[in-house]
Amino acid sequence: MPLKTIASLDIKRLEILGIDGTVDKSLMPKLSDKILLEMYRLMFQIRAFDERAILLQRSGRLGTYPMITGQEATQCVPPLALKPSDWVVPTYRGGGVYFARGMQMRYGLLYWAGDDRGTRFPDGNNDMIFSIPVGTHLTQVAGLAWGQKFKGKGGVALTYCGDGTSSKGDLHEALTFAGQFKLPAIYIIENNGWAISVPRKKQSASQTLAQKAWGYGVHGIQVDGNDALAVYSATVEAVARARKGEGATVIECETYRMGHHTTADDWTRYRETKEVESWKQKDPIARFKKFLAAKKLWDEKKEKHLAAQTKVWIDGEVKAYEETPAPNPLNMFADNYAAAPWNLIEQRAELEELLKFKGGAKVLMELPPSEGRFP
Amino acid sequence: MKTAAKPVAVRTLNLVQAVNEALDIAMAADKRVMILGEDVGVNGGVFRATEGLWKKYGDDRVVDTPLAEIGIMGSAIGLAITGMRPVAEIQFDGFMPSVFDQVVCHLGRIRSRSRGKMSVPLVLRAPHGGLIHAPEHHSESPEAYFCHTPGITVVIPSTPHDAKGLLLAAIESPDPVVFFEPKLLYRSAKGEVPSGHYTVEIGKARVVKEGKDITLITWGAMTVTCQKAAERLESEDGASVEILDLRTLAPLDLDAVLASVSKTGRCVIAHEAPNTGSWAAELSALIGERALLRLLAPVARVGGWDIRMPLFRLEQYYIPDADRVVMAARKTLKF
Repeated sequence: MPLKTIASLDIKRLEILGIDGTVDKSLMPKLSDKILLEMYRLMFQIRAFDERAILLQRSGRLGTYPMITGQEATQCVPPLALKPSDWVVPTYRGGGVYFARGMQMRYGLLYWAGDDRGTRFPDGNNDMIFSIPVGTHLTQVAGLAWGQKFKGKGGVALTYCGDGTSSKGDLHEALTFAGQFKLPAIYIIENNGWAISVPRKKQSASQTLAQKAWGYGVHGIQVDGNDALAVYSATVEAVARARKGEGATVIECETYRMGHHTTADDWTRYRETKEVESWKQKDPIARFKKFLAAKKLWDEKKEKHLAAQTKVWIDGEVKAYEETPAPNPLNMFADNYAAAPWNLIEQRAELEELLKFKGGAKVLMELPPSEGRFP
Repeated sequence: MKTAAKPVAVRTLNLVQAVNEALDIAMAADKRVMILGEDVGVNGGVFRATEGLWKKYGDDRVVDTPLAEIGIMGSAIGLAITGMRPVAEIQFDGFMPSVFDQVVCHLGRIRSRSRGKMSVPLVLRAPHGGLIHAPEHHSESPEAYFCHTPGITVVIPSTPHDAKGLLLAAIESPDPVVFFEPKLLYRSAKGEVPSGHYTVEIGKARVVKEGKDITLITWGAMTVTCQKAAERLESEDGASVEILDLRTLAPLDLDAVLASVSKTGRCVIAHEAPNTGSWAAELSALIGERALLRLLAPVARVGGWDIRMPLFRLEQYYIPDADRVVMAARKTLKF
């Protein structure tokens, strides 16, 4: 019997907006001017925020911080295809995702300053804190999507992971569930080329990361992750598929981490400057600006106005962050259980005793108000 | 080793340099020794523990793996069974739970399940503990999970000298060793380290200082905290304090523990992990079982609280400091 081909893969890559700002009209999604301008605002502002956050860290006013620059389109655009009630779980580098979901960035700063009060998302949003042990959220997102399916209101769950994380078993299990139970989930693989010092080509022998999806009966597509229009189009299609009950999608967004892994890293140890420079040509914001200008939606006057607005906004967020009173150490005992057990009640009292030992009885009076539920 | 013995020079190194030197010596001496982990090659590890080794020994022996902890752990087990001597690095303590299936279900059991035909002579290195203002899940103390698992040796040095000697002993050990490196001490702990090959025996505690009135039993970075506490207890309370740095957590140096506690009759166990179900709990039980009548006070445990490690703004209130050790020691001394 001759060998038969019983399955073959057809892996597509979507590009709409070129680096010169021109678009492929046949692929151009229908978008209002308002939403186009919103995409630009989000990308522009999160980059300015990222630059300020790095400066804050470098001057000792922030802890270790993961840079966003270069990945604005991949991060800021997909949330625009969602409702607040859809679940969103970004990665630790996902400041742009949270920003596009309406998070007040003072909380992002607070989190990276080592303050547990920084995990605050807008009321009414189904946003979840990222997982630092990477990829461990991916199966949870299958569960979030499953829960949406039970609710029966067409809700979806959208999440991100990096090219590095796509090597972990977590993605295998998550996609197995997403495929098997036809879950309304969107998995964005934010392929930024580098998992700290390990390049994409050393991560997997697979030609693309998008094609992994098909092995689980899940739709998969690669897009130019620096092309906001392609990212939007692919997300809208994936969300529509999910809402209609037609299952999950993997979107591999090929983008680039322009900066270090975090402020504790130094990319000059492991990658070539010319590679980084080559990605500057593909910048997601610059090409989108050219596109808007060609459509007469943008000019230097508007740019100046946005820059000034952005500075005021960032100054306000930084001020709010820096003026947040130091946390009460007793806070850490709150919200660990619905009702705190005896050992926590004892240990919280022990911490009070320690604080008195350190600073005298008046110390407890001077503490900022404790927050959270206890016992 | 076949090379002519070079004269031993004693230099001052920090703990991460001592780890690096041990890896270098082991790789030079034995071609079966290889390193695998995330960012351990070109980048030399996020703490630079493997700095320079990729250049010296090449891609095949210093391997930047895909980002997959189970892959690292499972393949290290397979490599060890075939006769290699893998030294696997898990980048942060908070990523250790990912390797748990391999550790709990396989790592310590293969010798027994193969009726002694197979062994798994690998080392699993990971940074340990907090207080370096690191992000979430980067400041954990997961030693109890590993100590609880049969078939595994668990080591944690607190000086550069011990780090080098214990790591060489771990690599040469016929059984799997989980090797924790206190990240607070990577650069802050400096000490004299002899050049060349030497080992520190696994399973032996170190008496940091001798004393008569109370024993502080500790490990990892808390050893330094206990030294600060001891200075205060001696100068402010006139107490004579003995400090025991366990160095190997499993198997415990029970003789050293019982000898010290029997001498002083008072004991505080200080560590970073939550007390409930901790290695301090096991120690406390052993002391109760075997030295009850020598005790003049209940065994005290000073550990992290029974809650998750908070983000770093509050970590100094979570991980015991010298104040907490002093408070516990005073209660124990006055009992």
